[in-house]
Amino acid sequence: MSENFIELDVRPILRSGGEPFDAILGAVKKLEPGQGLRLFATFKPIPLFRVLGSMGFDHEATELSGGDWQVEFTPAAPAAGGVSAEQTVAAPAGSKQHDAWPAPAREMDNRNLDPPEPMVRILAAIEEMPKGEVLAALLCREPVFLLPELAKRGHSWQGAFEPDGKTYRMLIRIGTVQPGAA
Amino acid sequence: MKAHPPLPVSIIMAGTTLSRWTLSYFATAFVFLLLAEALMTFGVGYPAHPLRAPQTLFLVHCITLGWLSLLMCGALFQFVPVLVAKPIYSNSLPLLALVLILAGLLALLAGFLQLAGVLPFIRHCFLAAAVLLGSGFLLVLWILGCTLARARPLNLPACFVVVGLCSVAATVTFGSIFMLGFGGYANMPLLAELHARGVPLHVIAGLGGWLTFTAMGVSHRLLAMFMLSPELDGAPTRWTLYLGALSMVILIGAGIVATITGISLTPVLAVAGLAALFSLVLYAHDVLRLYRKRVRPVIELNSRMAGVALGHLAVAALLILICAASGVILQYSGALVFLVCFGWLSGLGLAKLYKITAFMTWLECYGPVLGKTPTPRVQDLVVEPRAGKWFWAYFGAVDIAVLCLFIGTPLIFRAAAAVMLIACVGIAVELVRIRRLVDVEAARRLPAGTRQPRLLFTLVAS
Repeated sequence: MSENFIELDVRPILRSGGEPFDAILGAVKKLEPGQGLRLFATFKPIPLFRVLGSMGFDHEATELSGGDWQVEFTPAAPAAGGVSAEQTVAAPAGSKQHDAWPAPAREMDNRNLDPPEPMVRILAAIEEMPKGEVLAALLCREPVFLLPELAKRGHSWQGAFEPDGKTYRMLIRIGTVQPGAA
Repeated sequence: MKAHPPLPVSIIMAGTTLSRWTLSYFATAFVFLLLAEALMTFGVGYPAHPLRAPQTLFLVHCITLGWLSLLMCGALFQFVPVLVAKPIYSNSLPLLALVLILAGLLALLAGFLQLAGVLPFIRHCFLAAAVLLGSGFLLVLWILGCTLARARPLNLPACFVVVGLCSVAATVTFGSIFMLGFGGYANMPLLAELHARGVPLHVIAGLGGWLTFTAMGVSHRLLAMFMLSPELDGAPTRWTLYLGALSMVILIGAGIVATITGISLTPVLAVAGLAALFSLVLYAHDVLRLYRKRVRPVIELNSRMAGVALGHLAVAALLILICAASGVILQYSGALVFLVCFGWLSGLGLAKLYKITAFMTWLECYGPVLGKTPTPRVQDLVVEPRAGKWFWAYFGAVDIAVLCLFIGTPLIFRAAAAVMLIACVGIAVELVRIRRLVDVEAARRLPAGTRQPRLLFTLVAS
């Protein structure tokens, strides 16, 4: 569609252990109407698809040699005026990936519990929550055994360490993916 | 409803699950531990036989390959994916690796029995051992290497594992050269020279680089996880890694050069040992911090017993230093190797095995129904006071055995080995009870939707 791209290579930031999100958002804000972003990363940046999707960008990801990825984000609606980063454009109907997530209906702080208690409490809480609601939880580690369980039960999630590197914050949206799909 | 800003996420993980064959590795390893302790009880190998006698080599390889290496491989198949938050490269290849290593080990042990005159001459026994063990460990390296390669840039604990894996590659290579030597195949002067003088490199790369260094990296994360201590990744931890890696590079690199050029190995061992010593001091600093800064006031049996094993590592390092400084290290090398193998490595292995088995069993059995129905807690699968007695008996017997080796009282050593054997049978029974959920209240044992875990492997419904 558009050959007009700004290029951003976040691989050096990722390799030094940094968090490239600010650089990416900065680049998106600088885009002219109709312009796209060509991003280079060391992995397939799936969460970004959702984030930029909620800003009205489509994506096309290509794996490069050495396990790196190139992703082209193009404005989904090149209508008059184009799309700017400040503008949040509704995603195309039926594209669940592009939905903005609702505010969390429940918050949980599981930072002072030893494994597997955080997992037990989260799974117990989400069983009681209706479809589409979001649970926010704070943890002190990446809950690696929880994630397959969430996938099996058809919940979607996002998670990341806060900038201090000590608190892991995760959002779980109830029952929005096909169970076992992830 | 107000839209929630997405998190600044850079990674969504595919998630890790349970390693299917880890328990098969643990069970096989445990059989070799019990076999080795029975052999010591009946006076086979050092101290009844000389250090380099075939009987001693038989015993030593039951311990280092059969018990410790299989235990470590099984633990890494479960632990590396958790460490790097990526699924394992293959969940079926570890079984093939286990079969290859086991076949290679049996061929190697048969080769030693042949040298001892117990078995008649078997042609190509050592060649088969070299090929089977080499390919088994190569497969282990391939599976773990591919898993780690997907997770670059690696975090600090994963870097410890990488150094450990490089060390096992070196250990197995040295070992294969020795096996070819035993079998009469290595007639090239270079290989013959390595066979004649390279044994210290093989032993130190195996016990130090592969088993101790990997255990240090793994215990770092496990102690933090199970005691709720802050993860350490500051300068001391980084320098523990750098100095440990440096000591292995010196040992293996300079060691090979010294061996084949005929230069004395002593300066190489001294410099590598110094780097290793500094690495251990920094590690001790980190470990003390982990125990002091823990959030949980009461710590579980596995972390208490890991502490005892860590104390044995400290004592072993100190004794090695003293013996080296006073020039008696060769005289006491058997006792020192025993202390490292049983006080430190086996002690830590048994302590963590107790927790990991309970955790994996709990996750396998109750994971699918968590939140849907009341389930037992992980701690309901174990009875710590009962298991604790076996652990104390084990460590007490190890200490007496070490003392006997230093002062030269082989009969009391055998009695101590018998107590070690009984204690380990006790711990094995505890592990089987955990796997069979025997200590869980009958009414809560198997709620609807769960099934009894298998004893020797893990089945996880996807």
